[in-house]
Parts: sequence; C-alpha cells; structure tokens
Amino acid sequence: MKKNLFYKIFFSYLIIICTSFLLLALFMRDEIKDVLTSQIETELLSYAKLIDQTSPEKASERLSEVAQTSRSRITLINAQGRVFADSESDVSKLENHLNRPEVQEARLKGTGKAVRFSNSLGIDMLYVAVSVKSGTAITGYIRLARPLHDVQTVIEKVCQYILLTLFVVALISLLIALFFSYRLYEPIKAMERFTERLREGKAAGTIILDTADETKTLADNINYLVGELRDKINIANEEKSKLMTAFTSMNEGVLMINAQGVIEFVSPVLSNMLSVRYEDVCGKTIMEAFRSIDLQKAFLEFKSRSENVNREIVLGGTEPVILSVSISGVHGYPEEEKTMIVFHDVTRLKKLEQIRADFVANVTHEIKTPLTAIIGYLETIKNGAINNVEETKKFVDIILKQAERLNRLVEDLLIISNIEMKETKLNFNDVSLSAVITNVIALVEAKAKSKNIAIHNNISEKFAPVKADRDKLTQIFVNVLDNAVKFTPDGGRVTIDAREEGAFRVVSVRDTGIGVPGDEIHRLGERFYRVDRSRSRDLGGTGLGLSIVKHLMIAHGGRMHIESQYGRGTQVSLYFPITPFQTS
Amino acid sequence: MSEKKHTSKHYEMELQEIKNNLIYLGALTENAIHLAMKSLTDRDTAMANQVIANDYEIDKMDKEIEEKCIKMLALRQPTAIDLRFITTAIKITGHLERIGDMAVNIAEKVVQLNEEPKLKPYIDLPNMSSIVERMVAKSLDAMIKKDLQLAEEVRRIEQEVDDLNEQIFRELLTFMMEDSKSIHRALLIMHVSKNLERIADHAQGIADMVTYMITGENVRHLAKDEN
Repeated sequence: MKKNLFYKIFFSYLIIICTSFLLLALFMRDEIKDVLTSQIETELLSYAKLIDQTSPEKASERLSEVAQTSRSRITLINAQGRVFADSESDVSKLENHLNRPEVQEARLKGTGKAVRFSNSLGIDMLYVAVSVKSGTAITGYIRLARPLHDVQTVIEKVCQYILLTLFVVALISLLIALFFSYRLYEPIKAMERFTERLREGKAAGTIILDTADETKTLADNINYLVGELRDKINIANEEKSKLMTAFTSMNEGVLMINAQGVIEFVSPVLSNMLSVRYEDVCGKTIMEAFRSIDLQKAFLEFKSRSENVNREIVLGGTEPVILSVSISGVHGYPEEEKTMIVFHDVTRLKKLEQIRADFVANVTHEIKTPLTAIIGYLETIKNGAINNVEETKKFVDIILKQAERLNRLVEDLLIISNIEMKETKLNFNDVSLSAVITNVIALVEAKAKSKNIAIHNNISEKFAPVKADRDKLTQIFVNVLDNAVKFTPDGGRVTIDAREEGAFRVVSVRDTGIGVPGDEIHRLGERFYRVDRSRSRDLGGTGLGLSIVKHLMIAHGGRMHIESQYGRGTQVSLYFPITPFQTS
Repeated sequence: MSEKKHTSKHYEMELQEIKNNLIYLGALTENAIHLAMKSLTDRDTAMANQVIANDYEIDKMDKEIEEKCIKMLALRQPTAIDLRFITTAIKITGHLERIGDMAVNIAEKVVQLNEEPKLKPYIDLPNMSSIVERMVAKSLDAMIKKDLQLAEEVRRIEQEVDDLNEQIFRELLTFMMEDSKSIHRALLIMHVSKNLERIADHAQGIADMVTYMITGENVRHLAKDEN
C-alpha cells in the first residue's frame, strides 16, 4: 500500500522533472552554440578587418601578432586560391584553398563562414573568410580559423549544471513524494485497519484522524455509517431477544418454514417438547422431520387455501403427544412466503378430559348396574313373587348384596374424595410393616387358599417401621394384596418384599398374575379404570382399589409404582418416605 | 448462469418432492400396520375395516411415486447418488406398497377373528408387532437420515422377529392340539404372525436398499445368506 502510493507519486514527479530538463537541455544546447558561434564570427571578422588589406606583404608581417591576439589561425589567400601566408602552417605545404566553402562564400558575398571538423586538431573549427578587393576586383582572401573550444566547454558546463539541478530536484521530489505518500497513507491505513476489524466482527470504536482533508471526511462518513449500523444491529438484537424471550416463556412451540418447505427455525420450547422423539429438525421438510400424515395434510391445506389452519394432531408412536397445531403465514418477506406453525401440547388436557368423561360414564354405569338389579328384583317381588316366601328370600338376598355393593362403591368414592379434599386426618405413628402385613395376609388367606395361591412374606420383623396411619396402611395393603390374589390364576404365587431405597422404604408385592399391557400401566390409578372390563367386574370390586391406594400413598408423602409384563405378572411397589412431610 | 441455477433448483425440488412423497407413503403404511394390530388387540372391527378401506391411498401414492421417478429418469438423467436414490425410491415404494397390502391382510383376518370369541390374551403378538413397527420406522428413518447404522440395526432386529414367529407358531400348535375348535382361530392368528414376519422382511429390504443408496454396495443377498 505504502510502496504503491509512494512510487506513484515519486515516479510521476520524476518523469515530469526529467522530461522538462531534457527538453531544456536540448533547446539550450543549440541556442548557446548558435549565439556563441555568431559572437566568435563577429569577433573574427573584426580581426580580419584589422589586417592591412592593401598589401599582402605588410599583412604578412603582422600576421603572427594579430593571430596571437585573436587566438586564431590566419591564412592569407590570393585571388587564385593559393596560400601565400599562414600563421601556423608552412605555406608551401598547403594546397589551393579556393574550393573551401568559406572562401567561395566570400568570393560571392564578401564574407563567408563555415564550421568544419578539423582532423588535425580533432575539434570543430570555425572558418571565416573575407575577400580583399581593390576596386571591384578581388585580389585575395583573408581567412581566420578558431577552434570552437569555448563553445564546447560552455555547453558541457551548462549540461553539467542541468544534470546537477536535475539530481537535486529529483532528491527534493523524492522527499516530497515520501511526505505526501505518508500523509495519505496513514489515514487510509487507519481506515483500512478499522474496516478490517469491523469485518471480523470485533468492537471497532471510531476512527480518529488528525487530518483535515478529504480523508477526514471519508473517515467521518465511515464513523457515521458504523454508528448507524451498530444502532440497527442493536435494535435488531433487541427485537430478537424480545422475540426469543416470548418464544421461550410461552407454552406453545413455534416452527418456521420457508418457501421451499424447509424448517428454518424451531423455538426452544418446541425443541424441548419434541427432543425426546425427534432430533434436530432444522433444515428438513416437515415430512422428513415428523413423518406425520395429519401434519402434512394440514400444511398442504394451508398452502392451497392460504388460510389459517387449526388442527389437532397426534405425534409420536408409542408415547403419543397430542398437539393443537395452528398454521399461519408470515408476512413481511416480499421475496418468499414463510409459514409459521404453533404447537400447543394438549396431551394433559386431553387426558384429563378423557378421565373426566370416563369417570362420569363409569360412575353412572357402576351405580346403574346394582340399581337395575335391585329395581328388577323389587318389581318381580311386587308383581306376585312376594307370595312365594322362598323365592322372595332369595331375591331379597340378592337385593341386599347389590345394595351393599352400591354402598361399598359410595364409601370408596367418599374415601377418595375425602383424601383428595384433604379432609382425611392421618394419625402418623411408627408402624411395623411386618405386623400390618401379617394381619392383612390373614384377611386374604382364605381367598388365596381357595385358588391355591401361595403368599410369601419376606419382610423381616426387624425391618424399620414406617411413619404412617395404621388403619390407612392396612387399607392400602388390603387393596394391593386383594388385587394380587384376584388377578393371579390358580396355583400362582404372591411375594412381598421390603427394602430401603434412597429416602424411601419400599414394599413391593409381586404376583404371577395376568399382568397389564404396557400402554395401560399409567392409567391404573384412575378411578374405575379396568384393563379388562368384563373380567374384573366378575371378580368383584368397585374399580376404585388402586385409585384409593394411589391417593393414600400420596397423602403419606409417598407414591405407588407399577411394573408389569402382560401375561407374566405385576409388581406393585409402594414408596414410603423415611422422613414424611406432615400433611395438615 | 441464472438459467442454470433455476434448472438445478427445480431439479432439487423435484428430488425433494419424491423424497417427501416416499416418507408420506412410509407414514401411511406405518399407520396401517399400527391400526391393523390395534384393531386386533382391541377387537375393533370398524378400525380393521378402515385399514382395508384406506389401502387405496397407499396404492395411489405408490403409483404416483413410481411415475415421478420414471419421469425424473427420463427427463433429468440423474447421476451418481441421485440416480441411486431414484432407483432405490422405486424399489422402496414397492416394498412399502407390499407392507400396506400385508396390513390389509392382517385387518381382514382381524375381521374374521372378531366374529369368534377370543382364543387367548395376545402377549407375543403385540410384542412382535411393536418390534416390526419399530423396524419399519427405523428403515424409514435410515432412508431419511441416510444413516447406515440404522439400516444395519434393522437387519439385526429381523432375527428377533423370526424367532418370535417361531414361538407363536409353537404356542398355537399346542392350542390346536388341545382343542380342535380353536384351529380356525389359531390359523388366523398364525396368518397375522406370518404377515408380520413378512413385513419385517420388507423392512429389511428397505434397509438394504438404503445401504445401497448410501454406499452403492449391494448387500441384499449377502445379508440373507449370512442369516
């Protein structure tokens, strides 16, 4: 950069200077030569006039004297061209001079001159000839010759001076070039460094220059632009962070799709919502990312109608997520139409809805079944069976049984609702698990024996007691053990174990029963939920047992966990906290 | 220059469309298997009939993809990976269409099974179906992500399905020997199991094609011989 700028300035100076001096030297040389030659010529002519022209003999006498003063060679020539006197050479050796150009000129004009290179002296000589006349007839010629030493010297001198000046001026121009290039270079370099830093995205600040020329204006403009840009970036960043905060804090996940149908943006909430099932979905089409027919159909519908589309979509295979999806266009991109999809996870909502609907359906069904029986038998009695005492007794027994069942159902419902409303007071005591379970086993033993089921109690009497309400604890185990016996086919086995696991004492009841399908395990705590409706009602029970256990465990600060293999057996684990929180 | 860019963009979009359609077809067949098996375990005849009715959609998509692929081959002369993708797509759509047909077969058997009382609680069959569904899903994932490892996994799982099929066969055999009335139902269930096993074979076929698409190496009959 510096080199370039410097050379540009320096060489342009140099070329201008050199050309001007060369031209000057060329013109001066000729001019000086002309002036000096004509000066010498005049001088020589006046010397010639000094020589006595009347008699050649007299002239010859003073010839050497004049020659010395005039620092020239003087030759006297007669009309025929023969030299008869010469200040330097021997006359006899000289040839006829009539053909010399200066003599010829003198013959015609009176005076003549010529410049010739003298072989004998090796220098340019100036010859001046004057014709000597007597009357009109030419009687002879006087020729003076002087070497042009002086002219040569002067010209050389002038050339030397010119060269010297040239050198000095070139030197000065070099300095000037250095100075200017430096003056230009510094601000340009500063701006270059500045823009370079900007390009790399570093904080650049502002350029400060101490110049006052155009570079200053340029720097000011750059500073202004950078400031503008920084403001714009700040505004954009602020907008972006606002948007991201909104995207992060709201429950809905947001997805942006460009005109090519490729996903461009996924909000953090959505990637959280889907991270379990889907990997990075950016850069894929929605079909690639979700492989959902419903979503694709909704998207295509939006594309064809350009109207907002709202849809409920199920994503994921084994553990489906129900999403309320709304698709809308994003405006403000003139180049291409983008699409925004907002996902709202409604799985929980749907589940609650389902539970509520199921509950209402179940509770009516559960109440209606015994009621239908009661009403039916009562009608039969009323319509005449009352007279048949034997029959009536049988019917009344059935009616009583159904009424008891109804009563049990209502009681169970009350228990759950009381626990849920936190109206049940729990009396926390240290309760020995082994004692409680021994009692409970005694209650279910008869039933187990009839089905030939062995119950193994592996809890040692020394196992640490748990903080619990004794009656409720009994209720919990009655329900769990009763279930285990109920759903285990003849000849099966029920095993009870206890262990400590972290902050919990865990009792697990394992049976070799019919098990529960994997996708239904999480519904087991629901009220009235039955895996196989027809069968479990045959086995008696209200469908509320596990629900009561679940709620009682929660009231104890613990939890219930069920693992099951369909067709192989079920294990119910009850987690009692070692240090329970006190429920008010 | 701009003309060329436009063409290649168009080309890119056509490829993407074939890919999207293929995934769509995959999702349809996945859905069909899932519903067919759900109709079996839930004894839901309506659902089974729906699977049978929806098969036309799979057939339609199959034809559409094939036409698009042929058009692409004829008009664009794709090379290297694109060529392999398109030839692979033609074969994969064939596999998927067959899988759809098998889901229909299962659904037809379900309709018949539901007319009779339940033979036994289904334990191994849902197990097998979940493995097969996973295989199909994985083979499709392998295709979408161009993931060799997933394709390899599909080939590995295939053996499990074969074993389960054997096990179900033996179990049903005991049922049939015990009670001749159960033979009809047992045979139907066996059909279901057989169809699931064949779906698994097709899933492996897809995985093999995916491997070919990625590496250009034909592993089809190699893998079969090893098994």
